[in-house]
Order: sequence, then structure tokens, then C-alpha cells
Amino acid sequence: MSVASVASAHVTGTLESLSTSSLAGTLVTLASVLMLLAAFACLGSKLFNRYVFYYGVQSVVLSFAAAVVAYHFDSGELWALAFITLALKGIAIPVATRRLLLQRLELRRDVALSTGLSTSLIIGALLTGFAFLVIQPQDLPAGAVASSAVPLSTALVLLGALCMVVRRHTIAQLIGWLITENGVFLGAITLASTFPFIVEAGIFLDLVAAVLIMVVFVSGITRRLAEATASELRELRG
Amino acid sequence: MGVLLQVLQSLVVVVFAPLYAGVITRVEAMVASKRGPSVFQPYYDLAKLLRKGSTMSDQVSFVYRGAPFVVFACYLTVSAIVPIITSVPLPLAFLGDLIGGAFVLTLASFVTALAGMDTASPYGDLGASRATWIGSLVEPALILVFFTVGVLSASDNPYLMNHAVRASPYALVLPAHLLGLLAFFMIVLVENGRIPIENPGVSTEISMIEEGRVLEYSGRHYALMRWGSWMKFFLMSAILMNVFVIPWGLGGSTASIGGALLAIPVLLGKVAVCGLVVVIIDTSFAKLRFFRIAEFVGAAFLVALIGVVTSYVVRV
Repeated sequence: MSVASVASAHVTGTLESLSTSSLAGTLVTLASVLMLLAAFACLGSKLFNRYVFYYGVQSVVLSFAAAVVAYHFDSGELWALAFITLALKGIAIPVATRRLLLQRLELRRDVALSTGLSTSLIIGALLTGFAFLVIQPQDLPAGAVASSAVPLSTALVLLGALCMVVRRHTIAQLIGWLITENGVFLGAITLASTFPFIVEAGIFLDLVAAVLIMVVFVSGITRRLAEATASELRELRG
Repeated sequence: MGVLLQVLQSLVVVVFAPLYAGVITRVEAMVASKRGPSVFQPYYDLAKLLRKGSTMSDQVSFVYRGAPFVVFACYLTVSAIVPIITSVPLPLAFLGDLIGGAFVLTLASFVTALAGMDTASPYGDLGASRATWIGSLVEPALILVFFTVGVLSASDNPYLMNHAVRASPYALVLPAHLLGLLAFFMIVLVENGRIPIENPGVSTEISMIEEGRVLEYSGRHYALMRWGSWMKFFLMSAILMNVFVIPWGLGGSTASIGGALLAIPVLLGKVAVCGLVVVIIDTSFAKLRFFRIAEFVGAAFLVALIGVVTSYVVRV
């Protein structure tokens, strides 16, 4: 992909995407598989610091994928996004969550699960299958898209949502939400490398705000109630 | 020529399997800052055991007496039908595909379990019961793993799988293939009693699984059992490397003794890579509680299942 064709894509407004068989497409697919495994590891674990660790790993892999796409399309905006991803999601959010939440509240083992680990893993596998079923990757333009990365990103979105559903602790739900966001970002860079930078930057800003709010919120609730699971909050309903 | 290659391949498995086990034990000891036994210790053990007579209870039946020979023969059969040192199908390759190979491995495990129960020793019973339970969990995951590679090669013959992967190296990074690789590696750990499942080579009564079944054996019979289990580990590592990771380095497209001889050091190198990963896992993880083994095997099943799901996009 030359610079000129990327520029023309900007002009004409068509979406540029990776081809399946190029090296970049292969690397992005590889990264998506690793991200999926990280999401499953998160879903199959019971320790808070593991959640945060797996999320960090997933984000580092995501930033690698973003860097591959940026290199492939020679796009400065995507390079910036890759570095922001690495710094913010790969390092800052995991470190902040660990320092501000896990260590301060002395959280170790997550006991607020709605289903057993095996059940949630099986549901996760079903959701992954569902993602492939609805995306129908073999119908995507042949050779135009890194075809398995698209359903894998959808699966990540669903797995993050599943994480929020089966975990009742607020921090676990926060991690689920962050996984969903990773999935959306992966889908965005795979499908449309010319995704407007301003949108992505806005999302990053949201992310930081959300994590900060969550820190304050969870700390406050835990101080009052000595527990921060959503089941406690549910009792506040009229 | 084919017959020679056939014999050579089985010989390679028989001869180098103890060395593989010895090297892994030695390296693990070195990682733990110990000196460890010589890498040839398994050979010394075999030589010593083969020289000794075998003590048996007078209550045991022919099952117990015959089991070591059946088990050894099973592993020899598998060594004849999978690509170890050549990618050209050998004369005996028609005997079975990978699922057939898995059946033969299961037969060996079944006979071992029978022999363990035949002595009426509580440890034999215990080991047999545990190993059979784990085996029943592993089997579906193993079959799904074969499907993940089978999707690519439209076959479950290990030679054709090897050819298909070699023909399109791009397939090596397909999600289906990677997930299949991961699942198969987990199964190799489970089947050979490596660390998340069992402490290898440690006979602590409470945690014995594989070791429990052969606890009553001694002398020549024990030697065959030990040798068989080393061969199993070597075989599974070789299949993992030759079909899933590095399908190259198996001689040329036509069968030749020279190519096969050249493939032996390459094979040892490949298997050493697999052994290194096993050592890393052995030394950095703890053994799982018994009832969490189901979760570990379940994870392997799940990974293979996702592999199959993701593989239906494959149109190479």
C-alpha cells in the first residue's frame, strides 16, 4: 500500500483495510488471537491482579497490532494511537488500577461470581462461535480484509460484555468494559485504518475519565459498605 | 528402502526417548540450582532394571504379566505410523491416521489401568481410577485438535497434515492452527503427567496418577513400562513439532536413507525446543489440585473448540 493510495482513500472517503495474506494482515490476525486468549484468561481467573495483568497484556498486544497497521499504511495518526494505547492502556491503567484500587483496598480473590468459571468459559466459547456466525468472514471481500480479525474483535466485544455480566464486583466489571473497548479499537483499526483520529482521541479521554471516576466511586463505596459488588447497589432500587 | 526407513524411524524413537527424558530432568535440576543426574541416567536405569528379575504377587493374572509387552508394542505401533524422521508415508502408514494413533495410545493407557487394578493394590486402583478419569476428559479435546489441523489439510492423516502445512506456511499463523497448537501442547502436558497435572518422577502416594498404576512393577517389566512412557512423551513432542510448529526438516520429497539420517539431528533439535518449554512450565508453575485438573483439560478443550470455530473461514 503506497502513501498515494492512502491519501486518495482519504480524499474519496473509501475505507482502507488490510489484506489477509499480507504480512501485516497475518501479524494482526496473530495479535487478535492472542488478545482473545487474554480475554479468556481473564474470564477464567479469580484473582483481581490477574484480571489487571491480562488486561495489560491484551493492551500491549493491541498496541503492537496498531503499530503494524500504522507501519503498513505509513500513517502518523495510527502511530500516535499505537503509542497512546501502549502508554495508557498497557501501562498507566493497569498500574493505576493496581495501586489505587487493589493495593489500597487489599482486594485479592474475586468471590462475587454469578456462574462458575467453567460455565462462563463455555458461554464465552459459544459467544466466540456466535461472532463468527454473524460476521460470516468468508463473505467479506476476498483478500481485502484480515478476515479473521474482524470476527475476533466482535468476539472480544462480546467477551468483555460477558465479563461484566457474570462478575458482580465493580472492578471486575470495569475490566470487562475495558476489554470491550479493546475489541472495538481492534475492529476499528482492522476494518478502517482511516478512522478519524479525533474520534479515537475522544475515546481515550473517555477511558481515562471513566477509570478515574471508577476509582473514586469504588473507593467511596468500599469505605461505606466494606464491599463493592453490584448486588449491594441493586438493593437501592425502589 | 521403505522397510529400512520404517525400522530406522522406530529405532530413533526407542533409542532417543530415554535421552529426551534424561535431558529434561537434568535441565530442570540445573534450573533449580542443583547438579542433577547425568543425562544418560535413564539408560543406566533401564540397563539395571533389565538385568534384574521381576517380583510378582502370586495373585496376579495374565493381564498384569502381559501388560508391559502390550503397552510397549502400542507405542512401537504409533512410532511406525506418524512422521518422525521422514515426511514420505512409510509402508506401515496405512495402519492408522491420527485418530487411529490416539486409539492405540488409549489402548496402552487402558491396559496399564487394568494391570494397575489387577494387583488389587490400593495405589494401583487409585492411579487407574484417576488416570482413566483424566483420559476420558482428554479424549474429546484431542479429537477436536485433530479437526483444527484437519480443516486445513482435509485429512487426519499426519503425513498429509504435514504436507498441507508445509505447502502453505501462511497456515502456521491461522487462528485455528495456533489454537490447535496450544490445545495440543496442553494435552501433551496432561497425557505425560507433567507439572500442572502431576510431579513427574515423584512417587508421593497422595498425588500419584501415572506412577500409581505401575507402582507394583519391578525388574524387566518395570523397565518396559518406564521405557514406554518415555517413548510416549517423545512421540507426542515429535508430533507436536512436526505437524504443528516446524513441518520442515524431514528429508526431501522422496524417501532416502541419507535424508532420514540427516533429519535425526534436526528432529532432536526440534524436540529439544519443545522440552525447553516443558522445563520452563515445570519449573515455574505449581501442581494443580486434583479437581482443578478438569478445568485445565476443559481449557484445552475450549481452546480447540474455538480453533475449530475460527477455522471455517479457511479458504487457502
